[in-house]
Amino acid sequence: MNIKNVFSQFKEGLYKSRIELANKLAFLFSDSKDKSDFLEKLEELLILSDLGTCATAEIMNEFQQINFREYKENNFIFFKEKLKATLIDILNSTASDIKINEDRLNIIMLVGVNGSGKTSVAGKIAYRLKNINKDIIMVPADTFRAAAIQQLKILADKVGAEMINTKEGADPASVVYDGISAARARKKNIVIIDTAGRLHTKTNLMNELEKIKRVIQKEANDCSLEILQTIDATMGQNAIAQAEFFNKSLGVTGIALTKMDGTAKGGIVIAIKKELDITVKLISCGEKLNNLYDFKADKFVEALLD
Amino acid sequence: MFASLTDKFQTIFKKIKNKGKLNENDIKNCLHEIRIALLEADVNYKVVKEFIDSLHDKIQQEKISESLTPTQQIIKIVNGEITLTLGSKQNDLSISPAPPTIIMLVGLQGTGKTTTAVKLANYFRKKGNLPLLIATDIYRPAAIEQLQVLGEKSDLPVFSMERNENAVNIIKAAIKYSSKKNHDVLIIDTAGRLHIDDKLMNELQEIDENIPFQEKLLIVDAMAGQDAVNSAKVFCDKIKVSGIILTKLDGDTRGGVALSLKKVLGVPIKFIGIGEKVDNFEPFHPERMASRILGMGDVLTLIEKVETAYNEDELKKLDKKMKDHNFDLNDFYLQLKKMKNIGSVDQIMDMVPGFNNLKNRIDVAKLGDREGELKKIEAIISSMTVEERENPSIINGSRRKRISRGSGTQLSDINRLLKQFYQIKEMFKRGPKLKNFSFN
Ligand SMILES: Nc1nc2c(ncn2[C@@H]2O[C@H](COP(=O)(O)OP(=O)(O)O)[C@@H](O)[C@H]2O)c(=O)[nH]1
Ligand SMILES: Nc1nc2c(ncn2[C@@H]2O[C@H](COP(=O)(O)OP(=O)(O)O)[C@@H](O)[C@H]2O)c(=O)[nH]1
Ligand SMILES: [Mg+2]
Ligand SMILES: [Mg+2]
Repeated sequence: MNIKNVFSQFKEGLYKSRIELANKLAFLFSDSKDKSDFLEKLEELLILSDLGTCATAEIMNEFQQINFREYKENNFIFFKEKLKATLIDILNSTASDIKINEDRLNIIMLVGVNGSGKTSVAGKIAYRLKNINKDIIMVPADTFRAAAIQQLKILADKVGAEMINTKEGADPASVVYDGISAARARKKNIVIIDTAGRLHTKTNLMNELEKIKRVIQKEANDCSLEILQTIDATMGQNAIAQAEFFNKSLGVTGIALTKMDGTAKGGIVIAIKKELDITVKLISCGEKLNNLYDFKADKFVEALLD
Repeated sequence: MFASLTDKFQTIFKKIKNKGKLNENDIKNCLHEIRIALLEADVNYKVVKEFIDSLHDKIQQEKISESLTPTQQIIKIVNGEITLTLGSKQNDLSISPAPPTIIMLVGLQGTGKTTTAVKLANYFRKKGNLPLLIATDIYRPAAIEQLQVLGEKSDLPVFSMERNENAVNIIKAAIKYSSKKNHDVLIIDTAGRLHIDDKLMNELQEIDENIPFQEKLLIVDAMAGQDAVNSAKVFCDKIKVSGIILTKLDGDTRGGVALSLKKVLGVPIKFIGIGEKVDNFEPFHPERMASRILGMGDVLTLIEKVETAYNEDELKKLDKKMKDHNFDLNDFYLQLKKMKNIGSVDQIMDMVPGFNNLKNRIDVAKLGDREGELKKIEAIISSMTVEERENPSIINGSRRKRISRGSGTQLSDINRLLKQFYQIKEMFKRGPKLKNFSFN
């Protein structure tokens, strides 16, 4: 069973205010005076979408090669298609869905910096799985932030999923241990772990996550483990460092790109894919439980360019 | 990071050295590097564009090409400009002449409003006030509990009501309550909202129209990217934000958003959040933020120190000595010692004419930085005769043996020292004899 089938529409709710960008693009592709004018506008578009200077430079490089005169006539379509293809090419990946294996324990752990949407995404994933009648155990391993446990509890109750109990200040690795034991005892094969937010530069807190992973490996060696990092679409270049550090510590299996219902373009995931080859798997576009979608490179890029 | 920007500058200046003067293209190259640095720090594209244009004029006016240390000069100019833009006289929070002072925190989801509310209350309590926290986030699950727990932990009172009460009513009730309890500062935590969420933005406007706020503070995540100016602008348009607090600066974000916001909105940045704990909270320092955006850490302090140690006169003397081929072993030793006194020799060499261009910099840096090496050099040089120090070319094989015995060092130590000394001298022999000679 693979979650992908369950989630359908993706563009809905995405980019409420795309008008400004659309105008800019029409301008970019049709009204450029000459090659350097076009390239400057292209650079502006990419940088403003948070792709960063490296990824932008590489994409620009591809456009430098084009013989502009040849395509002058109907350049609007041509350049747009070329840009689309370039971006989709970067983002595309074969391993972009979350698999649920019926024959073993599935552990999905949310990690990421503070306030990026871990708890919300944990709730949203539970909601999706509950909708297809999966049995879930929620594990509140954020025992640090005030009322984080209650927040997850409220979401779990809404979804109708079970959450194991713990107290603020408990050792997160022990909570995870308890969660795995509970899943085994109650014969539930999906465990969703919410963890505390932490900046990737805090070594002791990153060690704490590594310890959680060791517990999982020890207690559920045969499980299918999904470590999802939430990346807030409003983030800038620091998200590359976030992804790099979390990946180095844990081996991140995918990204959940959150807050895509705003006006930020989330272009940083293009840079992350390019530099670290980490795939975006999910997109969150709002605070409701059903605002979670599978990531589709072509749709994402289309939304970026349309 | 500093290394990357100065290294790039130095590559540019090295080319200039051969031409002797900074031309339009050289300035462009420098500005290009500055531009990249700012974009990498997430300063907004349009803000960078404007900034670079104004820098251009400034750099031209400053006659960089006549400076002995153009790299430092440019960095100082850039840093100065950013500091100026970031700075503001009204960093303090204003207090209402007739209590209570009412302060509201607003912003996007997850930026740190609730955490900052408690930090702010703690800050006022330390100043002798009697603050009251007010919970109005009725949307996010357990948001009210979060504020209650945080308040309790820090022993700060929190006012809250049922979740179905609207924000204006909660605040009005809190004001009434506070007058009885003598609270003189009210801090209102609000729900996170998207700037394009009309319903919630209207709610915010309604709160603003009904409550006499002293301060309306926008809480911004320091890791924010290019879109931050767009959302912040809407908040400012709708409720006339009076100040900004940047959060999560305890990580490694360069925080270019500070520059964008200040430049586009003109709203002062008042405080920064540097951690999740209640006292991880500081006033905003424009100079520190400027070096951070440029990715230069404390290098500016170092530049300052170098500038104090090497004033213009001193640099000229050193310059003259080298050009007249009077630079001797005594000078070499004195220079190393001087650098060592300021900081790391490797870093200082970047900034001192002559040394910054050395081919075997690493070796020389090791000489200066390694404990004991300087002592060794001192021993070697003091075992030389006055004549040998001033004119090392006479130091032949037998003299080397004598010096080695006298100083208790290896022959190879002496050979290495002499080699490095000659390399420095050699560089100056080849230098162009132009009036505007630039060392870099
Ligand atoms: N607009 C919007 N808000 C979101 C989204 N995902 C999470 N949030 C909000 O962001 C804030 C932080 O989310 P939370 O899940 O608590 O983040 P955590 O600290 O990483 O666990 C909350 O106010 C959420 O409601 C999203 O996709 N869109
Ligand atoms: N590292 C760090 N985390 C912070 C800082 N300020 C807030 N946070 C964390 O960011 C997350 C969101 O903060 P919160 O106050 O709930 O944000 P709100 O949704 O705007 O109210 C929490 O995990 C906080 O602990 C800060 O200055 N540094
Ligand atoms: Mg959380
Ligand atoms: Mg809050």
